[in-house]
Amino acid sequence: MAAIEVQGLTKAYGDTVANDHLDFTIESGEIFGYLGPNGAGKSTTIRQLMGFQAPTEGTARIFGHDVRSDRELRKAKARIGFLPGEPAFTPSVTGAELLDYQAALKGDERREELLDLFTPPLERQIREYSTGNKQMLAIVQAFMHDPDLLIMDEPTSGLDPLKQEAFHGFLREERDRGKTIFFSSHILGEVRRVCDRVGIIRDGKLVTVEHVEELLARGGKQVRVHTDQPLTEADFDVDGIVGFEAEGRQAQFTFTGDYNDLFAALADHHLVDIEIDEPPIEEVFMHFYGGEE
Amino acid sequence: MLDTTRYEARQRVRGTLAFALLLGLFALLIIYIFPTIAESSADIDAFIESLPESFREGFGAETYTTIEGFVAAELYQTVWVLLLGLYMAYAGGGLLADDIESGRLYLVLATPIARKRVAFEKFLSLGLPIVVLNLSMPLFVFGGSIAIDYPLDPYYLLVVHVLSIPYLVLCGAIGLALSVVLDRGDAAQRGAIAVVFLLFLLDSVTLGTDVEWLGAISPTRYLDPTDILLHETVDLVDPLLLFVVAIVLVLLSLVHFQHRDL
Repeated sequence: MAAIEVQGLTKAYGDTVANDHLDFTIESGEIFGYLGPNGAGKSTTIRQLMGFQAPTEGTARIFGHDVRSDRELRKAKARIGFLPGEPAFTPSVTGAELLDYQAALKGDERREELLDLFTPPLERQIREYSTGNKQMLAIVQAFMHDPDLLIMDEPTSGLDPLKQEAFHGFLREERDRGKTIFFSSHILGEVRRVCDRVGIIRDGKLVTVEHVEELLARGGKQVRVHTDQPLTEADFDVDGIVGFEAEGRQAQFTFTGDYNDLFAALADHHLVDIEIDEPPIEEVFMHFYGGEE
Repeated sequence: MLDTTRYEARQRVRGTLAFALLLGLFALLIIYIFPTIAESSADIDAFIESLPESFREGFGAETYTTIEGFVAAELYQTVWVLLLGLYMAYAGGGLLADDIESGRLYLVLATPIARKRVAFEKFLSLGLPIVVLNLSMPLFVFGGSIAIDYPLDPYYLLVVHVLSIPYLVLCGAIGLALSVVLDRGDAAQRGAIAVVFLLFLLDSVTLGTDVEWLGAISPTRYLDPTDILLHETVDLVDPLLLFVVAIVLVLLSLVHFQHRDL
């Protein structure tokens, strides 16, 4: 059975349509990245999935339970771990007290195991926590009752790079244990490293849902070359060069074609330096989805 | 069971104990001055009689020459009815709006607990200050009255406290109602204080005027410590009415909270 089915989900705040007739399905056992720039409507979708906000139109089902009914959704919630964006806690309680409270509401059979991996200072009041510590506490509470489905809003924000990597590894292990993971992000690299499939949302509309490999093939690489002679676009007779810009002996473009063709073309020139990098998500949108509306 | 109430009440313990101690000490101070007034040659009751009726009634001031009249006016009508009423309204205002605004509530509502249950259990945590203060305050007051050798009747003292509970619950319910309707935590808390205070004023200024009925919407109209302590009249209808209104207000708040967007 699908873990999450989103059907025509629409949320309007007055004239602003934050989610516009979204349709997608998340299968059990996959990691699904919900990618979009800030303000695209990612959090709005998550709040509706969790029943915090009612859809204006359409609905979603989690494990078959309709999110529009609190009573229905509660049957699913025992199987959901949730990590809100910028998690907030009562500042005067300690991390341990917060976890005890959460445990009383939903269970905590995996608490100790998680605390080996994520290490917030449990005996201190949360008001003393850094952003990273708050995020780790939120991660522990999200997973501690061993839920089947994780819904997370920007889960790695605030984590240092080492913890981010540990978290990504942990997500892959969880997926391999059969868990379903749905998380939002605005960082393409993160989605690329851990997700099986990606849904891209922009301005409240779902632009595409595809497998990560397909997305990357379409997203391409950002290439910067520094040559000893100035280059023009005509110097490259290669498919898949987009957004060519040159300034003196530096040139940059996004490349979505066959790498061998690119290197063959580059071999005709004398390279001083070359950088090949993930394009920032904004570039992906600009080059590939900008003209679709 | 009642995990949320326990969690919330634990955070109220320190504030409640501090408040209980503060109110207790204030009560002792007030009672300590009583003998000076009782034994003074000045005709204080004549002075009270000369005050405007709304003032007299508003503060329940009838006579300062008996310990009952003095304590009722100086302690119960002001500190208990007004100050503690404002405190409960403020505490009620802080039950949900602040947690909604900060996003703290998301972590709780993500668990398989019903929204209205969360709200109701949070409301129940107001029981801690209500119970603690209603236990500590009579001890301070009774102890003080013994110490100055003007003992109060402990029965009517307890009656004042028991019958003030519905009033305090209602003040908390007014706070809860604002806390589910308003989006900002500080607005709900200040708003609740303002509402209870304005109702108190409305009750006081309309007394003895043609529009006395206007003050009937104020909860303070239905609780009169002076009547109980000084005149030893116990009326159960008014507290019951307050309690019913409180229940209705809580239920409406829960229903609204169940359906609103967070």
